[in-house]
Amino acid sequence: MDFNSSLRIAATGLHAQTARMRVIAENLANADSAGKAPGEEPYRRRIPTFEASFDPSVGGKVVEVGRLAYDMSDFSSRYEPGHPAADASGYVQYPNVNPLIEAMDMREAQRTYEANLNVVTVTRQMLGRTLDILRG
Amino acid sequence: MGLMNMPVFSALTDKMRWHQTRQGLLAENVANAETPGYRGRDLAQYDFADRQAGFSSAAVTTTATQPMHFSVSSSEGGAFGAQRMANFEITPEGNGITLEDEMMKVTTNLMDYQAATSLYQKSIKILRTAMGKQA
Repeated sequence: MDFNSSLRIAATGLHAQTARMRVIAENLANADSAGKAPGEEPYRRRIPTFEASFDPSVGGKVVEVGRLAYDMSDFSSRYEPGHPAADASGYVQYPNVNPLIEAMDMREAQRTYEANLNVVTVTRQMLGRTLDILRG
Repeated sequence: MGLMNMPVFSALTDKMRWHQTRQGLLAENVANAETPGYRGRDLAQYDFADRQAGFSSAAVTTTATQPMHFSVSSSEGGAFGAQRMANFEITPEGNGITLEDEMMKVTTNLMDYQAATSLYQKSIKILRTAMGKQA
């Protein structure tokens, strides 16, 4: 496994965290997306999954974004009789997105991204040292 | 007699190769820091005494005749033998990576590698001095 493989593995890590960030952004943006009519489901929170897979061209285990799963937990409901999507008793179903959880996930994604970036920086420094030998 | 046949250079080259392989494994660990079920891997401590016999031995590689063939010797930690880490803690999703530990290992790996390359450069300088050329 050479330095280029290390760089490519770290790059897949960056890629995975970027994809995760996109899903978090989707969830947060749709935190208030209720249905248009009564009985219509609001936005359902999505969860990114990660998988380790062996990449023969790199010779190591890279990380891949797997299936985007749906969060099957209950929707929250609020009493808003004037809302177009309110049911007979005046309740509107809102997405099962908890901004607090999303914010925490976002932090985690940021930290993991930074860790991968750190690996890239260190690997580049090591490559630089190897080239320094040439300069003698 | 080539440069690589001198014990100092072959030992240092071997150590540098060890650091290179370790960097790859650490990159794997960090990239998969949040993959459920992933357990980290690391190399056993480098020991010059253990490796001495191996300095001159050539590595055996398999030939890849198709793009999908795995290269057996270069993958999976190469000649150094990657082993599963004894993890301090394992999360409920079965992941055994502690990001802080991995970062420490990456930094240590960098510093040790720099030490090895510096020694390599110094050895070359000594050779030059011996040949009477001013570096």
